Amino acid sequence: MTLPITVPDIGDVKDAAIIEILVKPGDDVAIDDILIVLETDKATLEVPAPSAGRVHSISVAIGDKVGFGTAILILEESTGAASAPIVAASSSQAAPPPPPAPAAIEPITVPAPPPPMAQTPATGLQPHASPSLRRFARELGVDLTRITGTGPKGRISREDVQGFIKQAIDRPAASAGEGLSLLPWPQVDFAKFGPIERQPLSRIKKISGANLARNAIVIPHVTNFDEADVTALDAFRVEVNKTQGAKVTMLAFIIKAAVAALKAHPNFNASLDGDDLILKRYFHIGFAADTPNGLVVPVIRDADSKGILDIAAETAALSALARDGKLKPADMQGGCFTVSSLGGIGGTGFTPIINAPEVAILGAARAQMKPVWDGSAFQPRLIMPVSLSWDHRVIDGAAAAGFLVTLCTLLADFRRVSL
Amino acid sequence: MKTELLVIGGGPGGYTAAFRAADLGRKVVLVDKRERLGGVCLNVGCIPSKALLHAARVIEEAREMSAHGLAFAEVKPDLDKLRDWKQATIDRLTMGLASLARQRGVTVVSGTAQFTGAHEIVVAGTDGERRIAFDQAIIAAGSEPMALPFIPTDPRIIDSTGALELARIPERLLILGGGIIGLEMATVYLALGARVTVVEAMDQLIPGADRDLVAPLHKHLRKRCEAILVGAKVTAVEPREEGLDIRIEGAEGARTERFDMLLVAVGRRPNGARLGAAAAGVKVDASGFIPVDGQMRTNIAHIFAIGDVVGQPMLAHKATHEAKVAAEVASGDEHARFDARVIPSVAYTDPEIAWVGLTEGRAKAEGIAIGKGVFPWAASGRALSIGRDEGMTKLLFDPNTGRLLGAGIVGPNAGELIAEAALAIEMGADATDLALTIHPHPTLSETVAMAAEAFTGTLTDLLVPKRA
Ligand SMILES: Cc1cc2nc3c(=O)[nH]c(=O)nc-3n(C[C@H](O)[C@H](O)[C@H](O)COP(=O)(O)OP(=O)(O)OC[C@H]3O[C@@H](n4cnc5c(N)ncnc54)[C@H](O)[C@@H]3O)c2cc1C
Repeated sequence: MTLPITVPDIGDVKDAAIIEILVKPGDDVAIDDILIVLETDKATLEVPAPSAGRVHSISVAIGDKVGFGTAILILEESTGAASAPIVAASSSQAAPPPPPAPAAIEPITVPAPPPPMAQTPATGLQPHASPSLRRFARELGVDLTRITGTGPKGRISREDVQGFIKQAIDRPAASAGEGLSLLPWPQVDFAKFGPIERQPLSRIKKISGANLARNAIVIPHVTNFDEADVTALDAFRVEVNKTQGAKVTMLAFIIKAAVAALKAHPNFNASLDGDDLILKRYFHIGFAADTPNGLVVPVIRDADSKGILDIAAETAALSALARDGKLKPADMQGGCFTVSSLGGIGGTGFTPIINAPEVAILGAARAQMKPVWDGSAFQPRLIMPVSLSWDHRVIDGAAAAGFLVTLCTLLADFRRVSL
Repeated sequence: MKTELLVIGGGPGGYTAAFRAADLGRKVVLVDKRERLGGVCLNVGCIPSKALLHAARVIEEAREMSAHGLAFAEVKPDLDKLRDWKQATIDRLTMGLASLARQRGVTVVSGTAQFTGAHEIVVAGTDGERRIAFDQAIIAAGSEPMALPFIPTDPRIIDSTGALELARIPERLLILGGGIIGLEMATVYLALGARVTVVEAMDQLIPGADRDLVAPLHKHLRKRCEAILVGAKVTAVEPREEGLDIRIEGAEGARTERFDMLLVAVGRRPNGARLGAAAAGVKVDASGFIPVDGQMRTNIAHIFAIGDVVGQPMLAHKATHEAKVAAEVASGDEHARFDARVIPSVAYTDPEIAWVGLTEGRAKAEGIAIGKGVFPWAASGRALSIGRDEGMTKLLFDPNTGRLLGAGIVGPNAGELIAEAALAIEMGADATDLALTIHPHPTLSETVAMAAEAFTGTLTDLLVPKRA
């Protein structure tokens, strides 16, 4: 029995890169052995063998972009009877490799099966374009899958490619008003000034970098600052950890408080869609997680219906996956609002960049004991600085100040969260 | 010696790359260890095999017509003359290549090349060693027949090169390997009067082609051969004075039989591991293939590889197309890329088998939905008028768009007919395009249009059951 293995449903991802192929044709694999490793912009994902067998052929190569359903390899499922080893004849051309020789006989090198090149996916999904047109598109660097042909049966013509290019050239001017006319990036020969070392950016950094740059340029950001008195909350947290044997961090409380604040200020749980505002009736909260390769934002789903202990456990589990590069795209989708907490590290405040298409992001810095005037004397209180960056196209200053007040009130007296 | 572009190997890949690069203005040196250009294909592959297959066809057609009112005397092959004629064909082509090289100013160096660094090779020739420095290189070192370790050395044990030498016609010939090369040689030696047995380890001849395409060939060969043993293997060969005692193990058990000659045609091994490629830093995989990207670059950016040495299918027309890409990229055309959607395969057996693109077997294995149009040649006037009705033309379409995904043809001249299907796939043609293109009557090419009509439901030459 041969079993074609395809890319499993990895969420709404069409161009995961193959970064590792752990098997080769002829290898025997057990059920759940890892066959290949994919990397999306946010996570790596291992594809395991669904059953035991022998790898017959592999139709992808390292670096290939794949999506749900792409054929990866063909597995010959092992049947009860072991297949008899055969040494003798195989065919001459384009034949699958014969099974390996028995140990007594010197191993024979067999030609590998056809490389992927000769195995282009034979489906009607390939662009309807002739070889000469495909060359023309390559010369212009045009991806034909992005063009809808105007010829008979959707055939792509030379004019279609030219039109696509023309549109691409016109577009930035049309959509970005005057466009950004920026000075060229400064070119500096750093080595002239001292020793340097060049390090390639990780894939996560490259992709999140492009997203952050877009968000920073496109969204009119404003950041408000406030301080939350978390003296009682932190005492409560310490006590929970002691009595429950749990490991609850301040982040879990902030997430829970953020949900309550979003409920009170629904415009913060929203996204812009053209001239419409999409208001969300669900509460999925993202949190920034630091990993050796860069920043990722896993999402706690339905945080409104989860308790503090659940949220704490889930943030810990997601952070661990993130550090190992094993988050699935689905773990990072659907967020309504993001919390970025640097409390464990330090700082007195910062201006986070909004995680589009969300409209606000909360930053929390390190809580510190500060003297607070209670009307008659200074009291030592644990004060946590918070900042809220918001999209001025959707929210205005008064609303933002109101949101922060709600949030700080909740953090100061956490019982209100349940009100 | 110093050159801009060095090409190692003068086969279809190598000479095409050298000529294309020279036409693009590069200074080119082409090295081959053979005396003549043309590589395996011209010297010991495609061309001599096709010359002999032509001879076989003439013999077989004469024999067939003897039952229909055209009796000839039984053919008496004169091997010396036949060999001379085959050689004359090769000579004409290889000399033609030599003069094309001269006209283009390509320097041809003869000797065995070994890398000594990323920009230098040493060539060992009959007149000693010489070093050649290069800016860029294209490796087109090809492949050679695979040997089996348990088979001894004996003049009666030959590979495809030995078979093409046509030293003698054995009484009983065992062909080990029922792939294209093995069966082409079976066709030749059968026509010349040998009694032939074929042993193939897989469960069908020409694995890789669809079973229904192979069936007519299998049937035809079964009538002509002593035996065709599929799912069988040779496990021992003992040379004796009176013959070769060969042990064959198959489904029906093991037996030892005596043959006069053994042709080993179990596949070809790439020459990648014999170039000292490590000295240049070029990666060679465990089987001897050199991995390349879509622009035919190896892991070393200024060194390219093409043809049999980069992977299956090992076919001359794949090598020549890859050659042009490598030559163009090496000459500065960054947009050139190996972008062919399909590579046709042909077995020049009797009957011929040809296929291109998706096969039914692969569609089934990978769960690809297909629609099928089949035209049996028994309904083709032309097929009947050449006395051959066992052929079939099968087209596989995308059921949603009707676009042609693959084709398989069995019958005389299938190799010539498959080119239309290859063009149709590259152009994105659908069943209606093929059906509405007027094909000349009466030709075998009509069967392509009729197979398309069997799919579109407009066929009148046959009664096709309506599709649900
Ligand atoms: C019997 C037979 C029949 C065939 N029939 C067909 C057919 O009908 N159609 C088809 O498409 N294909 C056919 N083939 C396959 C075809 O011959 C090959 O695919 C084709 O020759 C590959 O071309 P190439 O340029 O990659 O290598 P080759 O033709 O193998 O040429 C490589 C050359 O490099 C030389 N070389 C290798 N190493 C060195 C070195 N270190 N220094 C110097 N020179 C070196 C070799 O001597 C050789 O001349 C057939 C093969 C055989 C054996």
